[in-house]
Amino acid sequence: MFGAFDDKHFDRAEIKVSSTIHVFSVLAERIGRREIEVDTTMPIPAGELLDILACQYEAVNDLRRVVRLAVNHAYADEDLLVNEGDELALITPTSGG
Amino acid sequence: MAQREGDRFVVRLQSDPLSVDEAYKVVQPGNVGAISLFVGTTRRFTEGRGETVQLEYDCYPEMALEEMVRLCESTIDAHGAERLFIVHRTGLVAVGEASVIVATSSAHRDQSLTACRHLIDTLKQTVPIWKKEIYSDGATDWVQGGEPETKLR
Repeated sequence: MFGAFDDKHFDRAEIKVSSTIHVFSVLAERIGRREIEVDTTMPIPAGELLDILACQYEAVNDLRRVVRLAVNHAYADEDLLVNEGDELALITPTSGG
Repeated sequence: MAQREGDRFVVRLQSDPLSVDEAYKVVQPGNVGAISLFVGTTRRFTEGRGETVQLEYDCYPEMALEEMVRLCESTIDAHGAERLFIVHRTGLVAVGEASVIVATSSAHRDQSLTACRHLIDTLKQTVPIWKKEIYSDGATDWVQGGEPETKLR
């Protein structure tokens, strides 16, 4: 009887979600905006999200080796799963002080 | 101005000029034996680059404040300082002006000196604030982890 359900309606991996990502400093200047958009499946590992952004934005690609994703105001390891609704930002090497 | 406070620390981002007197007062509870202050100021000449006339600081305020809170909490745990204060400028900062002040206090000098050094060294590495050098010839450079951005590509 469970076969009557259509799996696809319950498989979140099939659904693409639009996310806004904050960018700063050199990325904001080169891209010309302080927010960028990306459509991906969710959840997605932080590293995969960075790879997708690197494909879409040359400025991100140029700094892919050193850029990190911040999720909800904290640095994310590349295998951390990003979920719909998380606050996202790209953090290039910092230079405060 | 944006600020967060704990029982033993204050962290802040502000566009107005910084006050060393205020930093001293924030970390002086009246019963400590040592206060350490670090003041970072805008440098006119950096090796291998032009003459800087001003700096522009960009930041991610919400995360910068949270990172500074985490940094203060871990510094209190690790070094036992009594009170901590971090204030960082945002926006344009002229040459010679202070861009950051870190102040710490403790019963004896070792804790406050070590905590002060740890705060400024770690702040530079982890707190999402970036400086843009604006040179006398009009050229600009976003500094990324101590290097001009173009060197990291």
